[in-house]
Amino acid sequence: MIDLELGDELALLVDTARSFAQEQLAPHFRAAEAAREVAAPVRAAFAQIGLAALELPESLGGAGLGPLARALVNEELAAGDPGAALALDPLGPALYPLLELGGEDALARLAAPLLADEGGRAVLVCAEDAQLRIDGERVSGSVPWVPADRPRLLVVLTAEGGYALVEGFEAEVLRGAGLRAAGAAALRLEHAPLAARWHDPRAAARARARARLYAASLLLGVLRFGAEFSRGYAQERVAFGRPIGHHQGLAFLITDMHIAVEGARLLIHEAAWRAEAGDDFAPAAASAWVETVDVSGWIGPACVQILGGHGFMQDYPMEKVMREARALGLWLGGADAAREEAGRDLCDTRPPLALSPGGLL
Amino acid sequence: MDFTIDAKMRDRLSEARAWGREQIRPAGLEADRMGAPLPVDHPYFEAFLARGDGRTRWPGPGVKPDRPRPGLVVLSLLLAEETAYWDRGVIVAGPGPGLPEPNVLAMGTEEQKQRFLGPFREPDRPRWACFAMTEPGAGSDAAAIRTHARKDGDHWILNGAKCFIGNASRADWILVQATIDPSKGREAQRAFFVERGTPGLGGFKIEKKMGLKAYESTSFSLQDCRIPAANLLGGEARYEQRAGFKTAMRTFNAGRPIIAANAVGIGRAALDEALAFAREHDLLGDARVRDRLEACARRLRLARLVCLKAGWLADRGRANIVEASMSKALAAGVAQQATSLGMELLGTVGARGDHLIEKLYRDAKAMDIVEGTGQIQRVIIARQLVGLPR
Repeated sequence: MIDLELGDELALLVDTARSFAQEQLAPHFRAAEAAREVAAPVRAAFAQIGLAALELPESLGGAGLGPLARALVNEELAAGDPGAALALDPLGPALYPLLELGGEDALARLAAPLLADEGGRAVLVCAEDAQLRIDGERVSGSVPWVPADRPRLLVVLTAEGGYALVEGFEAEVLRGAGLRAAGAAALRLEHAPLAARWHDPRAAARARARARLYAASLLLGVLRFGAEFSRGYAQERVAFGRPIGHHQGLAFLITDMHIAVEGARLLIHEAAWRAEAGDDFAPAAASAWVETVDVSGWIGPACVQILGGHGFMQDYPMEKVMREARALGLWLGGADAAREEAGRDLCDTRPPLALSPGGLL
Repeated sequence: MDFTIDAKMRDRLSEARAWGREQIRPAGLEADRMGAPLPVDHPYFEAFLARGDGRTRWPGPGVKPDRPRPGLVVLSLLLAEETAYWDRGVIVAGPGPGLPEPNVLAMGTEEQKQRFLGPFREPDRPRWACFAMTEPGAGSDAAAIRTHARKDGDHWILNGAKCFIGNASRADWILVQATIDPSKGREAQRAFFVERGTPGLGGFKIEKKMGLKAYESTSFSLQDCRIPAANLLGGEARYEQRAGFKTAMRTFNAGRPIIAANAVGIGRAALDEALAFAREHDLLGDARVRDRLEACARRLRLARLVCLKAGWLADRGRANIVEASMSKALAAGVAQQATSLGMELLGTVGARGDHLIEKLYRDAKAMDIVEGTGQIQRVIIARQLVGLPR
């Protein structure tokens, strides 16, 4: 039966993540952006609340929670600072290829050393975002951007599977369009030795779908924050004798932002629920990702617009919302690859009743 | 969190699907070809009654109604979507106590339930009732109605005009919303049972519509229409403070997600037809076509989820004013996009005027108008979000 209640465990998780984001991340977002890292006390506070290894299997010391918990936590953390949220998650979405393709052995061999080293980061790259070629057991080429200054583990996801590298790549630190608290770098690989290589298209599809949900929920948090902040501003800022939010042009824009955020959230939650239910959730995850990226294309600029000149200035966080929303939407193959996958999946469905509720939910 | 449709719900949806394919769609196409509502003696209505539909939920005198089953609103939304998939006009045309029933159940006296809902318990023939709010000068702004009610001894005298009222000319009774003092706004509104044949009730004009032709949208007038005091819904005590207006708004709050679900159903039908056409004409190899179909499917799924959330909140007895309006604002637009895309894929075939998608294109537009336009929904939401003044 349809029930949108989170339940006690997830509700507690959300409360914990929200408090942490509001108390520890949001107040320091400019400092973290400038420092390109999260301050040590914030890291320590994060370690204490137990969100650090949310989806890692319990056998490896993690909480063993699933995609829904991740989506909920990511939204909250990203509403505070998405770059910091990434910086605080050593594996990030690189966890999924390791888990789905490599299994616990790969996690123990490749991820465990990273987890033991504070500040160690893994990055996930979708093959279509990079220029990489494999020659025997070695990889050469370049990756234009990863959201980390000096990643220790590079995981590449392809349509057929994926591979991992722990050495043989150099990072050139970049300014980064957004997510600067996580860092930003271009990677150059010269005959980098493969640390692992996997072939399993179905597992790769699951890993990609989970990565999309990871990114979509971060993006959702950014959009929620932007929509809420600009809504609050619109109720205080007065123009032509009344709050600007009382002018219907802006009132409707704010309303549409609210609807878009809520809609994207429901798509993400439904896809995550499908993943936990063991369904084929890849098309739903692709849809959730596409929708979130698509609405971010106008919500980010709208947040700046509502604040007018203040929105453009760095005294307010809306310019950051616009930059980060755009940067996040380019990640993990961007929306177009997902759009193509979801479109093909839909077109393979034999009508009638492509979206019948019984088949959809 | 759970998005499962349980086996019972699936069974109900399967039944609705079969009924829709065999009965609803053909009746809807027939009405569209005729350009007129299904006549009261149409076999569809007899079949509808024989199926056990068209009846009141009122359990009878002295019988305590069952507590609403958990998930009832969500189920009703899923059914509203599924049946509208086959033809939304035929759904509205269906006999029964219809739109006013929730208000009568919630506010009516026992005597009123017996008189007005009793005949719908085991109807001897297809019977209709309807709710009349809209006026030529008051659509979405329901507080602006001008139909006037004046007390005259043991009677009320109604004067005014109503328009676009579903099933009005065939209804046994019409629940008419009127004001006892237009200068007092919402608090002066009352609802009255006006029975067919009451002197002064007349001037019925079945409108010619762009779509949704299977049901009648009727305008009528009330000229010195004298009705017994006992026909005031709930009695005078019920109408203290602003309860009168809330009678109407209760219907609307329950109705918006239903209209949204209808819109999703229409959009789904357009998507399926568009997919079939595109497949048949080898259009699916074009990435632009796939992208647009994908966007259409995605937005329909999204609209459905927002709609279900509004229903889920209602099932829990929680406030859903924002979600109800969100679902309506969103789904109506999505349905129009879906039908418009379908027309575009049809190309000049769509211009012929004989394809189902062309009908759906006309039908879908009403979803953005009835029970508050998309703009009004945004006004309602904005009042909650930014305190947009009334």
